[in-house]
Order: sequence, then structure tokens, then C-alpha cells
Amino acid sequence: MMNLAALVNSLRCSLLHIESRLLQTAGLERQLVPALAVSGPSILPQLDGEREPEEQQSPEQPPGLLDSILWMAAPKKRRTIEINRTRRRSDTKLIKVKNNVEPCLECGHLKQKHIMCGFCYAKVCKETSKIRQQIKAMEGCELGAPPVETVVLYEGEAPSELDKDKRIVERPRKRPAWFSY
Amino acid sequence: MLQSRLQVLGVAPQQLSCLHTSTSLETKKWERQNLKVYPPQQPDDLRRPAEIYHSRRQIKYSKDKMWYLAKLIRGMSIDQAIAQLEFNDKKGAKIMKEVLEEAQDMAVKNHNVEYKSNLYIAESNSSKGKYLKRIRFHGRGRFGVMDIVNCHYFVKLVEGPPPIIEEKTGFDQAKEYVQNLKNRTIIHSL
Repeated sequence: MMNLAALVNSLRCSLLHIESRLLQTAGLERQLVPALAVSGPSILPQLDGEREPEEQQSPEQPPGLLDSILWMAAPKKRRTIEINRTRRRSDTKLIKVKNNVEPCLECGHLKQKHIMCGFCYAKVCKETSKIRQQIKAMEGCELGAPPVETVVLYEGEAPSELDKDKRIVERPRKRPAWFSY
Repeated sequence: MLQSRLQVLGVAPQQLSCLHTSTSLETKKWERQNLKVYPPQQPDDLRRPAEIYHSRRQIKYSKDKMWYLAKLIRGMSIDQAIAQLEFNDKKGAKIMKEVLEEAQDMAVKNHNVEYKSNLYIAESNSSKGKYLKRIRFHGRGRFGVMDIVNCHYFVKLVEGPPPIIEEKTGFDQAKEYVQNLKNRTIIHSL
């Protein structure tokens, strides 16, 4: 089947070639190759009419598209489910077992060795947001932070000598165990 | 979650069939395995380990992607499986962890399992749920059919410590093969 198509294609090409040669000898086909090229603005208005048939011919026989159609890579056969499965289930594609999971010493939830425990992080986040809310209430406006350091004090704590010039944020609860001085 | 909602309404589960989109869960094969009742064992027999079948249907995830997670936890103890799924970044891992925890609760409450850690995953599978078909527009006026995928996830927990699988090397397998060939005899010979 492929030989027949190739044969037909080659016959067609040769027929087109013969046709163009005959037209050349008859003098009917216009040669669009200029004998003399002169730089400068186009003086003769007749040349504009000659340019249009040249543009019309190019989309009919684009040289790049024909070559790329013949060259395009395409699968020859359907990949069977067995071959697909061996590729999808190969050892590299399976999920590896993690061996760095251990219980957190503080709360007992599971954590990864190099990452903070999720539960402990959540509890710190909660307390931090409460402190931030209080600071926002103290400041009033958006960018109202004073140019001094801030210190957070809990119930029953007095500011020490180091905390003299700092802004004090009071939290009405017992100091959490994880929040050291 | 569904059971608590039913308790709040104070209606029996069979009357609220409108809550399920298709056939109710009791008629599905995997869930029916939980209703299997064995005859009482003789005093000499080994204790039959408890088996708990649980599933979740129509999960909005791909069955192929779910399979990788199901393959990961096959044969693990339930604690190890939950630990692995907790630190996995896939979407299906969160859903699978919920299913395992539900199954663990079911085991302790309904299936007479003494220790909730004394369970291992005997079977774990994913399958295709109902797909919705949509049009996907390609270039040059062409179109394709897009599948909106759903999957089911099935798990079977068995009471007891997880079985230890002996890893056979290629050399051992070859040796076994040669030994089998050597053990062949000619029948009805002298």
C-alpha cells in the first residue's frame, strides 16, 4: 500500500514538472525572477499587481509544512495494558516508605524528625494570634507601632529591670509551659 | 458523620434512602462481607481473627493515583499505615486516613476487637467510581471527551500482628527451580 502511494506521488511530481517546462517553452508562464534588482522606492505601479499571484501560490504549496508532515513522530502500535502497567508500577514510581516519623515528646502526636510537630505549632499559632489581637487593640490604628521593643507578660508577672523601656503586652492567663522567659 | 446526622433526625436509616444517590450501602458486596456470621468455634480450634471490611464510595480522586497509596499501606500495621498517610502530601492520603480511622472505630465498637492497634491491613484497593463526561475543546475546532473521575476505596483490616513476608532473592528462586527439576521422577518405572 505504501509503495503505491509513493509511486502516485512521484508520478504527480513528474507531471507537474513536465507541465511547467511546456509552459516555459510556450512563453505563457511568467518568470517572477527579476533580471535586475534596483534599491529604492518602487516607481512602476504595475509591479503591485504581479505580487498578488505570488502570495496566492505560497499557501497552496508551503515548503515547510509538507516536509514536517512526513517527518512527525507518531506511535506505531497501541501500548498494551501489560506494558503500561509495568511502566506505571515500576519501583521508581511507587511511593517510598518514610522511616523518619516519630512521636513528639511534648504532645504525643506524630511528627517528622526534621519538622516541628503540627499540633504544637498549631497551639503556638493560637497564642500568637491572641497576642497579636491584643497588640492591635493597644495600637489602635494600622501602623501605630511605637519605636520600642515589646515584651509579653502573663498573670502574676512584674516587668523586670531589663523590661524598663519596653512596651508591655499583658495577657490575662497563666504563662504557657512552652513560652520561656 | 452520616450516622450522627441520622441520629439527630431520629429516623431509621432505611427510610432516608434519598440521602444516597444510588443503591444503598447495605446491598454493596464489600459492606455485606461485614454481615457474615461464622458458626461458633470448637474449644480446640485456633481463634479466628476478626475481619473488618470498610470502604468509601465516590471519592473525588483518580483511581490510578489512589492505587499508589493503597499499594503503599498493603500489609502494614494500622498505626504504621496511619503514620505514613499523615505525612504524605497527596489528596487521597487524607481521605484514606479518615477511612482507616473509621474502620478502626468500627472494629473496636462492632467487631469485638480488644486492642485498636492490634490490626493490620490485609487488603487495600481502589476502583473506578461513576465518571461524568464533559467536552474538552482542543485547537482547530477539534474536541475531546473529558472524564470527571471518581473512585472507591476498599480496605480489609484483620486482627493480629502484621504477617512477616520473607523476601526471596533471585538466587533462591533459581535454586528452588533447579531443585524442583531434580525432584522429578518417572512414574511407573522399575
